[in-house]
Amino acid sequence: MESSLKQKLFVCLLKGVVQADFVFFDPKPDDFHGVKILLQTYLDDTQWDLSGFVDLILAQTTVGTVVKIEGDDDDTPFAIVTALNLGRYKDHKCIKELKEFLLKVCQEKDVIRDLRLLMGEQAHDVGLLVSQRVVNLPPQLLPPLHDALFDEVSWATEDEPTAELRNSFRFKCYLLVSKIYKHKNANQKNNRNLIRRSGSDGGDGIVYIKPEDENFHKLSLWSFSFPMHTQQVETQEANYCLMGFVMAVETAKISTFRQQLQSLVVES
Amino acid sequence: MATRLMFENSCEVGVFSKLTNAFCLVAIGGSESFYSTFEAELADVIPVVKTSIGGNRIIGRLCVGNKNGLLLPHTTTDQELQHLRNSLPDQVVVQRIEERLSALGNCIACNDHVALAHTDLDRETEEIIADVLGVEVFRQTIAGNILVGSYCSFSNRGGLVHPHTSIEDLDELSTLLQVPLVAGTVNRGSEVIGAGLTVNDWTAFCGSDTTATELSVIESVFKLREAQPNAVVDEMRKSLIDSYV
Repeated sequence: MESSLKQKLFVCLLKGVVQADFVFFDPKPDDFHGVKILLQTYLDDTQWDLSGFVDLILAQTTVGTVVKIEGDDDDTPFAIVTALNLGRYKDHKCIKELKEFLLKVCQEKDVIRDLRLLMGEQAHDVGLLVSQRVVNLPPQLLPPLHDALFDEVSWATEDEPTAELRNSFRFKCYLLVSKIYKHKNANQKNNRNLIRRSGSDGGDGIVYIKPEDENFHKLSLWSFSFPMHTQQVETQEANYCLMGFVMAVETAKISTFRQQLQSLVVES
Repeated sequence: MATRLMFENSCEVGVFSKLTNAFCLVAIGGSESFYSTFEAELADVIPVVKTSIGGNRIIGRLCVGNKNGLLLPHTTTDQELQHLRNSLPDQVVVQRIEERLSALGNCIACNDHVALAHTDLDRETEEIIADVLGVEVFRQTIAGNILVGSYCSFSNRGGLVHPHTSIEDLDELSTLLQVPLVAGTVNRGSEVIGAGLTVNDWTAFCGSDTTATELSVIESVFKLREAQPNAVVDEMRKSLIDSYV
């Protein structure tokens, strides 16, 4: 594994530009190790049934995409995207632990009520949108990746063999667990974790690690951030700290999101 | 008996610990349960020492040792060196060495009698290994990989090597090391044996993703089932098994 990585780096240094063809695959059991690495810090440094969570994702072959490079001997996943119905999988240990974790880290009284509802009574209408990737994944992949996900969800509502399964993909709302960098001074306002949704970009002191999170955030029903123990790679901006970020986005807003994503990539 | 555990959410137990017949090193940080799992298995028999190396937690990959000694990379700080010298038994010689390939745990695999070394290791380092660890050193590759410490793990009783090792290589290595060897995986198909598990003559620790089949291969090749360092430890182990597996 080390030698092929070294070769790729060497080529990079020589030519400056690397040609890579990315391919989208359905999740399969062999992707276990790669996907697990991508999801290592999904719930901060909590010890939870991450292996069980990865197994769940890989077992759902009708909805979910793994991004790999064409002809790569290592078969390494570069990104994973999927949507898991919180009601369908509610009895799995990993989902129970995930719900516990989110309820524990949510510090906002207004949001926690909605969160509890979403993960409890309304769970069968909620899709946990899992999207993790390597830091340098080309942004041009984001629109097709998200299109693939939402298209697969809508196909599943028609193609799944049982009515129960078909209904399980009729999400009314998506829940996202992500990460952002927040300016340290932003916390010194009145409400510690309340994020001000200002019209101008960057005005709210947030740097979105995944560019589409900004779009999701603007369209979200509610959101909250929480402090993390794991630290990402040394950031140049010492004034920003890494925080976990949870959002709820209604399905009705998804088509707007998809349109916005197209233009986001065109600009960059 | 082999124990399954995790360091934070990582199953790479061999990265964050180093187990020998005379001592056990465990990385600082992570949860207390990581340290206490080792303590519970080993406390009465050998010291379990918490440490970092050069401020890093990946101690298992940076150092190499056996009952005779412990070799540390040049990145080890003076405090860490002193701490280790103070905490380890007197017969274990602790030495910091100047070797360009500083991830000693990846480059060298050893038991109390033999060591396998990276082909590009310094001559001087080879001599120090032979001297301090009291072993015979062989420069080898494992399934074409030069990082011998990463792709195999062996004790005085048996060894586990990269799954793609050929039969001829297995026989050759087995003759050199004078222990039975098996090609296999740990942590649900991971080929990086050295990172996934840490073992001595009577016990092994591996990541919690390790399947029952892999575990039984490990217990069999390292002869852990018959292993009894002393009656007391055996007694303790029986009552603890239920809570791990």
